[in-house]
Amino acid sequence: MSDETPEPAEKAPSEETLGTGATRRRALMLGAAGAAAVVSIRPALAQTNASLLTCEIPVPDPGRAGKYVAADGSVVAPGTSGAFAPAGRPFKGFEVKQALGGGQLPGTTYEQNQAYVNYIRKLQHGTSGFTCFASLQMPRG
Amino acid sequence: MARAESLRIVHLDAFTAIYHRASGITHLLASPAPEILATLGEAGLSRADLAAKLAAQYDMADFDAAALAERLDELVVSGLVATA
Amino acid sequence: MRHAFSVRIGPVGFRIGSDWRAPVAQLETLYADYPKPEIPDFTVRLFAARPWRRFVRPSVTIEGDFVLPDAAPLPLAQGLLAAEMGMNLQMALGQRRFLLLHASAVERDGRALLMAGVSGAGKSTLAALLSARGWRLMGDEFALVDPATGLVHAFPRLVSLKNTAIGVVEAALPNARYGPLMAGTPKGDIRHLVPDAAAVAAMNEPVPPALILFPSYGFEAESRAVPESEVFVRLTQASTNYVAIGERGFDALTRLVKTVPARAIDYPDTESAIAQVEALWAAL
Repeated sequence: MSDETPEPAEKAPSEETLGTGATRRRALMLGAAGAAAVVSIRPALAQTNASLLTCEIPVPDPGRAGKYVAADGSVVAPGTSGAFAPAGRPFKGFEVKQALGGGQLPGTTYEQNQAYVNYIRKLQHGTSGFTCFASLQMPRG
Repeated sequence: MARAESLRIVHLDAFTAIYHRASGITHLLASPAPEILATLGEAGLSRADLAAKLAAQYDMADFDAAALAERLDELVVSGLVATA
Repeated sequence: MRHAFSVRIGPVGFRIGSDWRAPVAQLETLYADYPKPEIPDFTVRLFAARPWRRFVRPSVTIEGDFVLPDAAPLPLAQGLLAAEMGMNLQMALGQRRFLLLHASAVERDGRALLMAGVSGAGKSTLAALLSARGWRLMGDEFALVDPATGLVHAFPRLVSLKNTAIGVVEAALPNARYGPLMAGTPKGDIRHLVPDAAAVAAMNEPVPPALILFPSYGFEAESRAVPESEVFVRLTQASTNYVAIGERGFDALTRLVKTVPARAIDYPDTESAIAQVEALWAAL
């Protein structure tokens, strides 16, 4: 559902033309080529990057501390063959952003990095580190 | 084409401010974008039906399919309109 | 941390830990009349990045709940500035309860005047000068807007005066309390003004905003009305947490721009600015 704040009819673009049947038609200009009608608010650059850099993603989350991370990113019992021990410290936002772009998380081997990145990609709302990961995904800054 | 769900819409003087809950992004729309969104609705319309409905509801001296397509593309890129 | 200081400023509590006594001593003196927090919201740490940095050309590295990596350390003589910058940083990156605007705020007759703008526009100086003329100082750096109520909450930190503004304010408020003069900081000379007793006593009393101004220094006196959509965009750029607080930010800001008039004022000197402010307020 969408919410519109109630407005006098002359302000809301649709209200004066829908619903009553007979209407006076308002003018509508579609605009020239290249004239943008939609502007997306981008926060001042410094503050976006700063928030990105400061958040942390533990692998795995503290609720499952001590468990291992399998190659596909799922969390498994410690010692499971082929799985990797937890990361020694939480990763910072900028480190994860680099890894998502093809780099490597610090202090990891190639396979370990793959496992951790897969774990991060699977983070769900409510798990520690999810909001950090989600903020890395935001398009347009 | 259909308007995205979960939009919070506030009309400011020359612009309409829209908060898109799914993305958390705020957009400012100038005419004709708000009118196109309102006409599309969440149920959606084909491009041809949208053009016809707009022409019926508004007095459009400069109706031009290319201009309408451009406006729609902007809305799609911003995430406010979904293509079928 | 060897030395610690806690303070509540408006609705926000801070705890500052320090490897050195001096900045903590200065904070204790300047914030002497402020209450202590029950539980701090944010922590700031002033520490020596290397053990010898406590003693040899002592330099203060700032950290806290929220950090900016690669921030340059400051000399110990500017430790007070480091503490204030640390508190700014925690607010800018971590504040989620209130919509934060880079604006000074002063109150008169139960309503707030917000002055928003970039560094150097004169927000702090004008707020300090207005506080000498019967206005209550609510804050010089951040205005806190409660998304639930639309009210402005005071956040009266030490007012940061820079360069020529120092002399101007000292002349207008000769009996006020000031911090040390810190010369040669990254932003030039800085001196802090301590908000007066009235400001501290009233800091828990939020008020509705009545006027938003965008001051610009260095031009012929002039003022124009600013339309709602322009105010909206300018304030999203003046907010450090508009995006982070999501829909509450959108609601708070749209409500603010639709209910509060806004003007842009150009001014050649502070006397002209004060005159324009008083005239616009009287005309509300």
